[in-house]
Amino acid sequence: MTLKGTIALTLVAALAGGSLPAAAQGPIRIGASLSLTGTYAKLGKNQHEGYQLCIKELNAKGGLLGRKLDLVMYDDQSLPPTAVRLYEKLITEDKVDAVMGPYSSPVSEAAANVTEKYKKVMVAPLAATTSIFKKGRKYMFMVISPAEGYLEGLVDMAAKRGLKTVAVVNEDTLFSKAAASGAVELAKKKGLQVVFTEAYPKGNTDFSALLTKLRAANPDVVAAATYFDDAVALTRQMKELNVNPKMYGVTVGGDLPEFYDTLKQNAEYIYGATQWEHTLPYPGNQEFFDTYKKEFAHEPSYHSAAGYAGCLIYAEGVRRAGSLDADKVREALLKLELKTALSPSSGRARRRSPCGPTTSPRARRASRRRPGTHDRTRRGPRRPPPMPPPDQTAGLRRQSRRSKIPAMSETTEP
Amino acid sequence: MRLSPAVVLPALAVVLAALVLYPFVGTGYGVRAMLQIFMWIALAGSWNLISGLTGYVSFGHVAFFGAGAYTGAILVASAGWSWPVAALAGGIAAALLALFIGYPCLRLKGPYFAIAMLGLNEVLRALVSYFEGLTGGGNGLSLPTLDATRAIYYVMGVLAVAVTAMTYAIITSRFGLRLMTIREDEIAAEAMGIDTFHHKLAAFLLSAVGPGIAGALTARDQGYIEPLSVFPLAITVTMIVMVLFGGKGTVWGPVLGAAALFVIQEIVWARYPYVHPLLFGAIIVAVVLLMPRGVLGLLQLKYRLPRTI
Repeated sequence: MTLKGTIALTLVAALAGGSLPAAAQGPIRIGASLSLTGTYAKLGKNQHEGYQLCIKELNAKGGLLGRKLDLVMYDDQSLPPTAVRLYEKLITEDKVDAVMGPYSSPVSEAAANVTEKYKKVMVAPLAATTSIFKKGRKYMFMVISPAEGYLEGLVDMAAKRGLKTVAVVNEDTLFSKAAASGAVELAKKKGLQVVFTEAYPKGNTDFSALLTKLRAANPDVVAAATYFDDAVALTRQMKELNVNPKMYGVTVGGDLPEFYDTLKQNAEYIYGATQWEHTLPYPGNQEFFDTYKKEFAHEPSYHSAAGYAGCLIYAEGVRRAGSLDADKVREALLKLELKTALSPSSGRARRRSPCGPTTSPRARRASRRRPGTHDRTRRGPRRPPPMPPPDQTAGLRRQSRRSKIPAMSETTEP
Repeated sequence: MRLSPAVVLPALAVVLAALVLYPFVGTGYGVRAMLQIFMWIALAGSWNLISGLTGYVSFGHVAFFGAGAYTGAILVASAGWSWPVAALAGGIAAALLALFIGYPCLRLKGPYFAIAMLGLNEVLRALVSYFEGLTGGGNGLSLPTLDATRAIYYVMGVLAVAVTAMTYAIITSRFGLRLMTIREDEIAAEAMGIDTFHHKLAAFLLSAVGPGIAGALTARDQGYIEPLSVFPLAITVTMIVMVLFGGKGTVWGPVLGAAALFVIQEIVWARYPYVHPLLFGAIIVAVVLLMPRGVLGLLQLKYRLPRTI
């Protein structure tokens, strides 16, 4: 930039910072670091696109507080320490006006230390582990429902079908451990016998040892708390090693269209957990699906929808607060009730708001999809410490279905 | 070309003064980035002590970093120690680990040592994941929030200076000469009456302390560690690449390599999120092919610089 340009810009900045109305200010810059490369790359990319679409739409409607929105994005390589550095960079170096959450629980856990330090509101749309929100953190908001419930649908249905034994495997990180322990607990409660549990490290690609042991335990049900890459590898190697449980479900990954594209017919008969489906009758959901597909040339996953909705929730909080001030936005978010494509959501901690995982066979071909069979569990962004809604268990139903056995869907209809 | 102390020492003093004053003018990110450079200088410098000087390539040096990180984090989180003391304890723990591992492993030669060290790192990671009660396992260990970045900046800076100064002291000493003799020809060194095993062990211990302290400081600064974030092979590889880039067996090579590669990495990162691994990889390949002795090695040959740079 030339010296003249710099001076001109400084002048403009000085003026804008002074007495001019909001419209004359530059864009509101929203910063985020996402897992664009590394173990969680596929999922982080969808979340990124959700953010992009949300910001594009907000801009088309005239922006926020009269200002345009701008997304400042970095790649944290799926590594918590990198995210810490990048959030610090976003806040202190790029001086962004707001931040949005990264992908995954471990990365959010690390990044939260920075955002709390600088008192920045962070809506973390894809951190599903409740412990993150319990550490006295004030400015962090949860969007999707807790990790512990991801495998509930699978276990619930296995119990209904009279299956007896279950094996639980998981990636050894924050989210997957919570999902696995939730599955183990529910299985015991439902009278299923947990015959095998094992954790594998993040980034693991060879599951042969684990699967050999698993096969020896001969479980009826395999419940796997996974992300995308490991879900694909695990499924493929189960096929190769001829491990054929009566039911097999994964957490994250199974809901991505890429899961089927990669595994083809090996993806059949596999349950996956999702927090969102495009057939759900929420306001703007179909539009979201169509626009997204047109914009990015592939179908959105629940990560896209959660990113999209998280961004809308934050924007609505800012709009109601009438300011970007963290404390005011926080207050507004706590009172907020908002219907998004992801689901209606609410900031009230004790109130149920529909926003939770359903278990859906996204692994199936699109043509086989049977709309309207989803059950939604209800939970919303909440403030720490999150208290479980009193009527939670009664209403909770994460539903699982098998692609080729419609009867099964029927039996689990609420 | 002669580098007279009259030029070098004032220049160093200016740089050090600038670094001391930096936290008062820099942004939060700037301070953290410098802190990271200090950390990498300490790590790369430490790796250089064992691998650059004796030629024993350690592929598991991150094990000491991780051991220090967990020692420090557990002492802070469970025992309530203050972090500077915990950092020191991290260094001591890493040295003890080095003693325990070095005793059998340094009798191995060539690639066997490298592989043993690689294994050590994996074993430690598995152990940390297994003892959940103490370490939190895969859930990681979260430390109470504390804004001590500036203080940690100084401590890490002192550590980087200490490691570099120690390298200088060793390279200019008879001890360093003996280590380099081991690198060139271990049997000849043995024949000349050098107690090669104890020399290697001493170098190994010294090379473990830095990463141990750096690990504990990093754990405190980031406030959250998990097995994968403190035991990744990537940290060892980065240490090695930094030393190779700067020039192994030199005093300033690790400093130059750490600073240059970190800055390149940060720039590439920010601008090209999707291609940075590719660009970084290309840089590594280019360095190894075009200047296998590193930047300083090349300069030493070309301008007949002293061995002690």
